Amino acid sequence: MSARRSLDIGALGGTSSSKATTDAAIAENVAPHAVIDETSGARKQPPPEKASDVRRRTYVILSFWLIVLLLGLPIWWRTTTIHRANLPLDEMLDWADGKACRPVFPLRISIQANSLQEQEAQNLLRLTQHALDDLNDFSGHHLRLQLSPPAAEESHHGDDGAALTIRLIPGESTTSTLDPYAPILDITYPPNSIPSPTSSSSSLATYVAGQLRSTFAEEQAIISFLLSNNSIPSEHRPQGLTPEAAESLSKRTTRSLKYAPTYHLTFSLFASGPLPSSWDIEAAIDEFMKPVLNVLTPIHNFTIDTQVQLYANPGVQSQILSKEDLSSFINAAEWPLSPSIGGAPTINFIVFVGNQTILTAPRETSETEGGLSTSQSWLVPQWGTVYLLSLPSDTAHVSAATLRQPLLTFTSHLLSLTGTPQSGSLPLRLSTLARIRSADLLLRASSTLGSLARLALALPSISIPGSVADGVSKTMTHLRLACETLGGPEGLAHARIAEAEAERAFFEKSMVGQLYFPDEHKLAVYLPLLGPVGVPLLMGLLNEIKAWRKRRRERAERGAEKKKE
Amino acid sequence: MDGGKVTLGRTAGLYLGAAVLRLALFTLFPGLADLLTGRVEISTPVTSFKRLQEGLFLYDHNVSPYDGGVYHQAPLFLPLFSLLPSLPIFTYLLYIAVDILSAGALLKIADSGEAGSSALFTSPRREKRWSGFVIATVFLFNPFTIATCIGRSTSVFTTCAILHAIAKAVAGAPFGAMVALSFAAYLSMYPLLLLPPLLLLCYDRQPPESAIKPGVQSAATNILVVVGVLAALFQMSYFITGSWEFLPSTYGVQLTLSDLTPNIGLWWYFFIEMFDSFRSFFLAVFWLHLSCYVGGLTIRLRRQPLVVLTLLLGIFSIFKPYPSISDASLFLAMVPLYRHVFPLMRYTFVIAAVIMYTTFLGPAFYHLWIYAGSGNANFFYAITLVWGLGQSLLVCDLTFAVLRDEWEVERPEMVGKDIRQI
Repeated sequence: MSARRSLDIGALGGTSSSKATTDAAIAENVAPHAVIDETSGARKQPPPEKASDVRRRTYVILSFWLIVLLLGLPIWWRTTTIHRANLPLDEMLDWADGKACRPVFPLRISIQANSLQEQEAQNLLRLTQHALDDLNDFSGHHLRLQLSPPAAEESHHGDDGAALTIRLIPGESTTSTLDPYAPILDITYPPNSIPSPTSSSSSLATYVAGQLRSTFAEEQAIISFLLSNNSIPSEHRPQGLTPEAAESLSKRTTRSLKYAPTYHLTFSLFASGPLPSSWDIEAAIDEFMKPVLNVLTPIHNFTIDTQVQLYANPGVQSQILSKEDLSSFINAAEWPLSPSIGGAPTINFIVFVGNQTILTAPRETSETEGGLSTSQSWLVPQWGTVYLLSLPSDTAHVSAATLRQPLLTFTSHLLSLTGTPQSGSLPLRLSTLARIRSADLLLRASSTLGSLARLALALPSISIPGSVADGVSKTMTHLRLACETLGGPEGLAHARIAEAEAERAFFEKSMVGQLYFPDEHKLAVYLPLLGPVGVPLLMGLLNEIKAWRKRRRERAERGAEKKKE
Repeated sequence: MDGGKVTLGRTAGLYLGAAVLRLALFTLFPGLADLLTGRVEISTPVTSFKRLQEGLFLYDHNVSPYDGGVYHQAPLFLPLFSLLPSLPIFTYLLYIAVDILSAGALLKIADSGEAGSSALFTSPRREKRWSGFVIATVFLFNPFTIATCIGRSTSVFTTCAILHAIAKAVAGAPFGAMVALSFAAYLSMYPLLLLPPLLLLCYDRQPPESAIKPGVQSAATNILVVVGVLAALFQMSYFITGSWEFLPSTYGVQLTLSDLTPNIGLWWYFFIEMFDSFRSFFLAVFWLHLSCYVGGLTIRLRRQPLVVLTLLLGIFSIFKPYPSISDASLFLAMVPLYRHVFPLMRYTFVIAAVIMYTTFLGPAFYHLWIYAGSGNANFFYAITLVWGLGQSLLVCDLTFAVLRDEWEVERPEMVGKDIRQI
């Protein structure tokens, strides 16, 4: 404001009178101000400007423009250019479309047939593989048989990377039993069922193939379900998923928590009265839950805390709980059940001591949940479990033995909440869980990459900091590694890192704030301040240029006249 | 001879009166000092006495004073204040002394007559001026000055350094002027922008008996002095705090406006509303805006460098990032030097009215916003806008008056006639 004023006055102050004769030609049009003689009302031409005043005005205007050009423009350029790190967009989209990696799970099944001749065993293996290939309709999930050398017996099942070992034992009839503690399938066969070298089919081979297929049926179904929910092109997609199976699978996946490397387990004892006030939870956890937590360690870490709350009112006051009451039983307002502490998702296990009972064990749900629901407990999807414990009213201390049943229930629910498949022996279920999780993480990281790529394409004005490009390249490296080692433990580790990096890159703070910033906003940002500042600056410059051109023209004319003379 | 003695006695009486008034305010109203210390009009994040005490506490306990992000003032304040005895009376006396030193410098500037007749220009109206005594009185008894002193804002040190720089320059002692300016710049950074007009003032006021040095050479020497003194001050600060951390915490805060505590300036509200991605750009725009006047004014008013200094002080008091009424009081202290052009000013009544109006309404609206809760930030910001308007009117009007004064020398026949744009 004052700058403009001083400029105006500067021009005014420059209209000088004393040396009127110096340069009439210059002054004629340059001097912008005149003084009106008020008494006469007649307009007097102002005297011409002095050359020094003209020069001074030029310097003043120049001093402003120098600051604008030398400091203002570079600063504007530096502070408002959008930094866009280069992202490998095509590759990212390839990952999202499933073109970069075809998720294949080659599962090796080793066969131990110590009592068979080498050639017989080879023949049986060939026939079984044929039968398996005939049965299998999903190329992504492939079972490959191999013959384990007879010498290597009990000692290293699983060490050679085989997902399952089949032990063929001669016996009376064809039976199969799954070892509950090791990934071993025992199959007995009557001696006469060994196929002859020439035969092209064998009942034993078909039987083994059928057994294998049923063992891995659930895993196959889950993986094909995961793939079908993603944007994997249809040729890789499994066909044999019935709508009912898909529905039950989707129910199960919605029940389980989103994968996280660490879960926080909260064990809470809520008592409706003053008692019980203590419990042997540590001992109980050590005894009944620790074993399962330990076997889950390669996939998840767990942190645990416990709490006791007396005089806790449930959300439903009635004595007998119907199925509808269960959803409002948890008193979210009053019970100190904190949501995720420190980033890790929390799984809540609640023991409620009171005299409530559940009206009927909900039959229809217990079928789909695989009998997990009992009349004392129920599972809250993605949240945890509530167990109703009825105790004599004067019990002050809950012993570890009393906690046995609740904790066993919690353990089985924990497996369900982490998304462990339900059929098969525990080692098989866990290795399946690892494979499912790696596939899940791989797909999720890929689709996050795809979203990021689409975002970067859709918003050309969004800034992409270097950390995002860094995260993307890390994600892709680990995705590639994960894709190569899919099915193994390293595969899970790589997929885990890839997913974390992809999430971090996508939710970069400086990007989120700028998601929507159209060009009109820029006008609204610049104009209110720079407009008023810019107008006098521009007008001053334009006037100055005009005056300069006029002076030059007149000088040229004068020069021409002189020449004529 | 007698007259000189009388003047001396009169000045001593003035100083005594000002000191007694301040001391009375400090001691008779013990709550007043703390009340004023907390006012946003007086204490800004870079001058607040409360924050100084916080820094002092940390410094005395061997913690870096800049830990915690409260203290944003120069490190050299810390040894100065920790050397003072802990009784509050010593702090009061220090602040009173600084005010009186400022008044002394102002008195010298006024008595030199530089405002009326500089080396290149002599105003025909210069006879009609106020004596240094009157100008020092106006400064010392200005309510803004008194409030700043009672509020113990550290900006009084900057004020004192600036006034001494000008006084030294007027007295023909460029070295002293540059040292004083370096101190001012060290304390508050923005006085560095006063360097170009101050160089011209020093050049114009060289004592005639010494050999006149060429302009470029004297300017280069003076700039070297400033750089040297600033380097020495920074080095001392480094020794005191043990790290260069004080640079981002003091000057960095002024440059980036990271503390958005409301004040009477125009920046805080703007940067509360600003989109984050444009923040750095507009910080640069605001700083460039503040500094772009230096060149233009210096060139345009080359013949009267003291006017340039006065106008720049006014502009800084409007547009600097953390202004307070202390800056206004400095500007208002310099304005009476131009008593001779007052008749040429056109809006004196409006300016006086606006400044009075905002002085009373500002605290009221701040109260409505912060304490009563019946207003919002816009109330206070509107008043600060009006305050800025009042001050810029004064700057404009003074510029106009000074230019008109210059112009009438060139065109004597136009004296007393109206000006119209055609």
